[in-house]
Amino acid sequence: MMKRLLIVLAGLFLGIIGAALASVLLYPEPILVFRMGVGAIIFLLGAFISILAIAVEWGKRLGSRETSKAADERRRSFIRRLDHEVKNPLTGLRAALANLSEAASPQEREHAAVNARRDVSRLTSLLADLRKLSDLEEKPLEHLPVYMPNILEEIVDASLSLPAYKGRIVNLLIANVPPLPLVKGDRDLLGLACYNLVENALKYSGPDKEVEVRAREDGRSVLIEVADGGAGIPSEDLPHLCEELYRGANARGIDGSGLGLALTARIVDLHGGSLNVTSSQQGERQGTVFTVQLPAQRNR
Amino acid sequence: MDQKTTLLLADDDPAVTDSLVPFLKRAGFHVLTATDGAAALEKARAQHPDLLLLDVLMPRMDGREVLRRLRRAKDWTPTILLTRVGESSERALALEEGADDYLNKPFDPHELLARIHAILRRARPGEKSLSMAWVLACGDLTLDRQARRVKLGEKTVELTPKALGALEYLMTHPDECVSRERLLEVVWGWQYPAGTRAVDTRMAELRRALGDDADNPRFIETVPAEGYRFAGQVQALR
Repeated sequence: MMKRLLIVLAGLFLGIIGAALASVLLYPEPILVFRMGVGAIIFLLGAFISILAIAVEWGKRLGSRETSKAADERRRSFIRRLDHEVKNPLTGLRAALANLSEAASPQEREHAAVNARRDVSRLTSLLADLRKLSDLEEKPLEHLPVYMPNILEEIVDASLSLPAYKGRIVNLLIANVPPLPLVKGDRDLLGLACYNLVENALKYSGPDKEVEVRAREDGRSVLIEVADGGAGIPSEDLPHLCEELYRGANARGIDGSGLGLALTARIVDLHGGSLNVTSSQQGERQGTVFTVQLPAQRNR
Repeated sequence: MDQKTTLLLADDDPAVTDSLVPFLKRAGFHVLTATDGAAALEKARAQHPDLLLLDVLMPRMDGREVLRRLRRAKDWTPTILLTRVGESSERALALEEGADDYLNKPFDPHELLARIHAILRRARPGEKSLSMAWVLACGDLTLDRQARRVKLGEKTVELTPKALGALEYLMTHPDECVSRERLLEVVWGWQYPAGTRAVDTRMAELRRALGDDADNPRFIETVPAEGYRFAGQVQALR
């Protein structure tokens, strides 16, 4: 859009500057004087408009070619990543099946079955997350007042009740004076968005590290921060974090569909908010903070 | 059981039937199969199975159409559609099809077995099931599924769409303990580890709105460590 406007305006500006220069500085005295009929004026006006239209069209085509190129690239990299995500559990599944049919003892058979089930559940959760992403675009959103601290309490509770995070510490800090404003939206989706952040924080920081979830406001928005003291995210990974199936250098070898942050970002976006991240890999200060900003509902 | 219960499994993908048939047979059922909608319709009419398992996307005729035709001919054979039902608009459509239950692919075969047993336990041969009723009632509580409206006596009860969806599922499956995961699957359309809390929140909303006491429930009973159950007697009004 900006580009189109620029192309059109550039021509206009050059013309005006050229005319001003020529008539004021170089040739103040007219060298040619002529009268013009109404027909000629109309013709010139028409020609001017059609040139303008052509310029606009040209700019539009240039712009759309670029966005479609970017969309193509996104689609290609999505397929590449999907291929990669599916390949590993499938390889595992094949091996497990081979072990299953050649198992010599009940223990070996049970072991193979456990592995096969794990791979299947990985594929299943990948598919489920893909479905959630596509659902977000199709299903209508609930628009009800939501008090975020309630949701945060629920999800912190729920994540700590998972066997993998037993005994971990998540501190929930909620600004209470004055009470946080409500936000408008879909309670369950907002819960899912924050849950993904809390789970990531637990997953990507060591078992001895604490996680902090903070909620406050800045007058216009409710801000939710999920912070961990993990290894931090390399700065070259930061811009890509919310891309579907993107796996940063730190994330390799850690379970996950690679869709959690993409889901969170999309949900926050659908609520008119924004998702930001700051991360440091330096010594004492190392850690990552995700901030969800959600517009506060007016007059509570 | 003197005679084996007969299931008709209709799915065009051998990846599904090849593994499900032995599983269902092992569970003690007699299993018929069909690989497209038209064949399924024919077999359902000729062999009168006790229960139908219909995939939705099939060649020649899709599962929904098969079911619609059977229901139009007043055939009330209990049916599980192997698909997903999520959105409210989709739900109204689902009601019109007259399926007794839904299962999202990919599903766990044990979950399928649990669904089959629950439906067979509830089914009365030759009668319409509650899943096909447009208006359900329990005491002074009425649920109009098409208008998406709940009334307690003369008063309309304000509910969020999800709470209403949960009530609808529980009322159409009375006396069945429905797990939180199952409710997430059919009402929310997706699952996540913290989602079960979201279910509890809606159930609390539902109880508040219906004036139901969790300790001494008239309508919704909590089954510890399992899920929820609709405790009242449900009638089909229309």
